[in-house]
Amino acid sequence: MSQTKPLNVEYNYSVVRLFAITTVLWGIVGMAVGVLIAAQLYWPALNFDTPWLTYSRLRPLHTNAVIFAFGTSALFATCYYVVQRTCQVRLFAEKLAMFTFWGWQAVIIAAVITLPMGLSQSKEYAELEWPIDVLITIVWVSFAIVFFGTLAKRKTSHIYVANWFYGGFIITVAALHIVNSMVIPLNLGKSYSIYAGAVDAMVQWWYGHNAVGFLLTAGFLGMMYYFVPKQSGRPVYSYRLSIVHFWALIALYIWAGPHHLHYTALPDWTQSLGMVMSVVLFVPSWGGMINGIMTLSGAWHKLKTDPILRFLIVSLSFYGMSTFEGPMMAIKSVNALSHYTDWTVGHVHSGALGWVAMISIGAMYHLIPAVYNKDGMYSLKLINTHFWLHTIGVVLYIVAMWISGIMQGMMWRAVNTDGTLTYSFVQSLEASMPFYLMRFIGGAFVVAGMLLMAYNVYKTVSSKTPAAQPAAAAA
Amino acid sequence: MEFATVHSILTVILFVGFVAFVIWAYSKKRKSDFEEAANLVFDDEPESGKQHSKREKEHE
Repeated sequence: MSQTKPLNVEYNYSVVRLFAITTVLWGIVGMAVGVLIAAQLYWPALNFDTPWLTYSRLRPLHTNAVIFAFGTSALFATCYYVVQRTCQVRLFAEKLAMFTFWGWQAVIIAAVITLPMGLSQSKEYAELEWPIDVLITIVWVSFAIVFFGTLAKRKTSHIYVANWFYGGFIITVAALHIVNSMVIPLNLGKSYSIYAGAVDAMVQWWYGHNAVGFLLTAGFLGMMYYFVPKQSGRPVYSYRLSIVHFWALIALYIWAGPHHLHYTALPDWTQSLGMVMSVVLFVPSWGGMINGIMTLSGAWHKLKTDPILRFLIVSLSFYGMSTFEGPMMAIKSVNALSHYTDWTVGHVHSGALGWVAMISIGAMYHLIPAVYNKDGMYSLKLINTHFWLHTIGVVLYIVAMWISGIMQGMMWRAVNTDGTLTYSFVQSLEASMPFYLMRFIGGAFVVAGMLLMAYNVYKTVSSKTPAAQPAAAAA
Repeated sequence: MEFATVHSILTVILFVGFVAFVIWAYSKKRKSDFEEAANLVFDDEPESGKQHSKREKEHE
């Protein structure tokens, strides 16, 4: 069982702190841009006839900011925190770790400048032009060196499961990014993909879906496997299940990309393969979800008093929901209805706001007091308010997009007896308008919650009282 | 050998490998190792016995 001897190790928290603070900061920026573009869909005049403020340029800014600035900062922060603590050693190559922070911020700033200028490779989630892609590669390889270097000098004999997920995510994202970013540069701001036609589309969605599978899933499962046991004070429900579902998950995810290209020029067999692999993926996904939630078995009462734990556990419910919805939407006949509609947007946000954001927020509320040497967050009440604002916001958002999406799908496929389309596109757009307003309101709730979090974090970090001395507490 | 044959054999090997892996993970022999591994997260407090206070304690 667990050892009780004290560890003679001082962890490096300086880089963790920086990434934790930027997680909150970029979360607010990225989500606020999301609310702005949601408002633009309801009030189109909000682009003020300015090219930099048009939906087409701000939408990639929103996705890049929430995925790569908010989500990935959370991954960096928790990864550096977890790998040190579960390996019981200080970070390897600390200067390089600090470089990953400043390098990553440079990538984000470059995105904030170039995307509104309209510089884009036009690949979803890989819009950034090639000089930024080169910088991303350098930072990512440094990240891998720091992470695996720390693993290599660990004091424990076993590599804790969270690190397997983090390691899988770091390696795969490196491979995905490098392969999909292969271009022939024309000048600093323009390049062409080396792939052509359907192959280009397939490479893009091999990348795109595995950005979801490895960055937004495997990485955050790593987070889950540390913070859920830690916050609940109970070891993970089944360690065996965690190992089996890790290998099953990474072996299957890599094949799921073609479901983004149903009924396109992609060969039929590739589409069917993508569909089957996506459906099978349901099993390891739910393995992780069940393992996380069941960690609380016998201690459910803690959910009543601990809003941080509630963030973590509700995030797992959203994870379970979207990994049921995803395989279903990957089935070709369902996809015929759902694809290109708001249903897809709703699905992405139940994953991104429900799963990714909630687990990150929960992890930050646990980690920030720890790395700033405080007993806990400034106000539990504010965390509780944040929880409800966020949950209500996400539910409003998803429900609006479900209704709007299914309605769009039905209206687009409706035909008259003579074979002509029953509805014009504008008629379906008009029908969606109320739901666009509802989505905007949901998004505003989420951003309001993030602002509360920022205030709470500020008060925690700036408070003068340090944590009770551990030595005294033990005595 | 034909393309389809190679891939069929590979599929069978991977499936058998996965089943063997599951049996390994769920074998009785591994039980205590995994329990120890699952408790690694509680052994990470530096310099003190803080893990006693953190574990199974309600969050204030």
